[in-house]
Amino acid sequence: MIWLTWRQHRKQAFYTLLGLAALAALLVPIGLAMRHTFSDLGLTDCASQLARADVAQATRETCDAGYRRFGNQYGNLSLVAVLLITLPVLVGLFWGAPLVAREVEQGTHRFVWTQGVGRTRWALVKFGLVSGSVLILATVYGLGMSWWVDPLTKAAHEGRFGMIVFDLQGIVPIGYTLFAVALGVFAGTVWKRMLPAMGITLAGYIGVRAAVELLARRHYQPARTQTFPIEGEGPPEVSRGDWVLAQGVRNPDGTMISEGGRIQCPPGGKGPDGRVCGAELGLEPGAYNWQLYQPADRFWLFQGIETGIFVALAVLLLYLAVRRIRRIA
Amino acid sequence: MDMVLEADRLGKRYGSTWALRDCSLHLPAGRIAALVGPNGAGKSTLLHLAVGLLKPDAGTVRVFGRSPYGDTEGLADIGFVAQDTPLYRDFTAAELVIAGGKLNKRWDAALARQRLAQLGIPPDKPVGKLSGGQRAQVALALALAKQPRLLLLDEPVASLDPLARREFLQSLMGSVAESGTTVLLSSHLLADLERVCDYLIVLNASQVQLTGTVDDLVAEHRQLVGPRHDGGVIGGVAAVIRASHTDRQSTLLVRTDGPVTDPAWTVREVSLEDVVLAYLADGTTQTSHSEWGVAA
Repeated sequence: MIWLTWRQHRKQAFYTLLGLAALAALLVPIGLAMRHTFSDLGLTDCASQLARADVAQATRETCDAGYRRFGNQYGNLSLVAVLLITLPVLVGLFWGAPLVAREVEQGTHRFVWTQGVGRTRWALVKFGLVSGSVLILATVYGLGMSWWVDPLTKAAHEGRFGMIVFDLQGIVPIGYTLFAVALGVFAGTVWKRMLPAMGITLAGYIGVRAAVELLARRHYQPARTQTFPIEGEGPPEVSRGDWVLAQGVRNPDGTMISEGGRIQCPPGGKGPDGRVCGAELGLEPGAYNWQLYQPADRFWLFQGIETGIFVALAVLLLYLAVRRIRRIA
Repeated sequence: MDMVLEADRLGKRYGSTWALRDCSLHLPAGRIAALVGPNGAGKSTLLHLAVGLLKPDAGTVRVFGRSPYGDTEGLADIGFVAQDTPLYRDFTAAELVIAGGKLNKRWDAALARQRLAQLGIPPDKPVGKLSGGQRAQVALALALAKQPRLLLLDEPVASLDPLARREFLQSLMGSVAESGTTVLLSSHLLADLERVCDYLIVLNASQVQLTGTVDDLVAEHRQLVGPRHDGGVIGGVAAVIRASHTDRQSTLLVRTDGPVTDPAWTVREVSLEDVVLAYLADGTTQTSHSEWGVAA
């Protein structure tokens, strides 16, 4: 079985590795250049310095300026990152969907399932080997991306929790890739033709990923709230890398006055017409800024939960695929 | 007598349509059996049930006394060549022999190579680039390398030209003659198999119409020609299978249970093909008239 699996997929494996190598050849120089600029701008220690409570105003300004310059130079790479998050679904399309669908489409399932190994064993060995290879692939990809995207996330305000970059690094690519492959395999057992199976895989993958990302992820842990006064010196105390879910300005009785906004006035500051800070919005004395957020140090917890969800879905889909295979003639 | 394949009221349904229904038959050991019926009669379904690819929806099927669905051990005794002889087209014949060895406990790779060499099949060319006849031979060699006790072939010669047909059947007969393997091969054309089979199963409209040894079937059917027949009893006739009439004369194909002695009838011997056609012509067209909404 192992020999057969290797013989059937060696060409595909070769092209996959070739593609990954080409990608690495493209991204590694960019990554190195990015890191070089990052340290040239003196940003290496900024994260730890800014995290301290007694950070000097001068350091803060240097760091912010550096971050801005870095962002100007490399901000466009976020678009590249958007392209890179499609890699797991490509693996699902080209490795997962044809696994069963191609056999059935070409009728070879009638050859291989009537040899001495039963089709359940055939399915388990094949799914196991393909999932194992994909696991290694996705781990390399996830680690590589973590390295590559690190300066970009440090320079970005929302840090590693950012929409695209969270999906790109750490261990979630493993979950996504296994899920995409399992979805492809399962779609192949239901539609039994390669093109429909690939189409369903693409649609299903996008649907599930979007649902988890937009609806579920923010609820993995109860979000924390933070309040701070609308009058104060300098920029507000928000630690970089927090994932702000909602923010606004509230009156002392808790009513939301300006949703999505944030107000910062110097102490005792007055508006142009002499009114107190924020009075034109209807703010009463004692109004405060409010935010709902997931703290930055929950990154790995969230990565673990999200990976767990997708691995569980993958296992479920593969189980259903094995069951369906028993009914295909 | 040992029964290799037994089906009892076997049925398989796709959605609400029965592909095979109330199918009861026995295939004795050592026979070369032809499974004949028009396209869509349920031949492939029956073979897929026998090799365990399909699970019966009704009744039972037993091969060597075992239920084949989900029975991995039983698979070792069954050689199966599916319709259109599907093989991994990018594999070479030599690689397919290796693959078979990896997939089977009992595997005579030497036999397979010997056969393929004799047939002049190139070992290092992808089988997708071989001719249809050569590919069928590769599939047969692989099935035989399992040293099966039952060999099931689904329309093995349908896509072959007449010469390749004859070569295929010849090489099949040559190899099973010594081993005593029971063979069940299907075709929609009896003519393909008539020369090689000694047992016949006729399927039509998802049901078994006729089953028995070729000799018995030919011996017990007769064609009667005589005065116009109105359905009365004729001595020695068990059943009228097919009747055609002119104004004054009737031609009947009948199953006999004794000698027909009535001098009004001229009795002629029939060929196997006459018998099969008579059974196939029976009862296929009634439904389609109503489905099309036209008068019969």
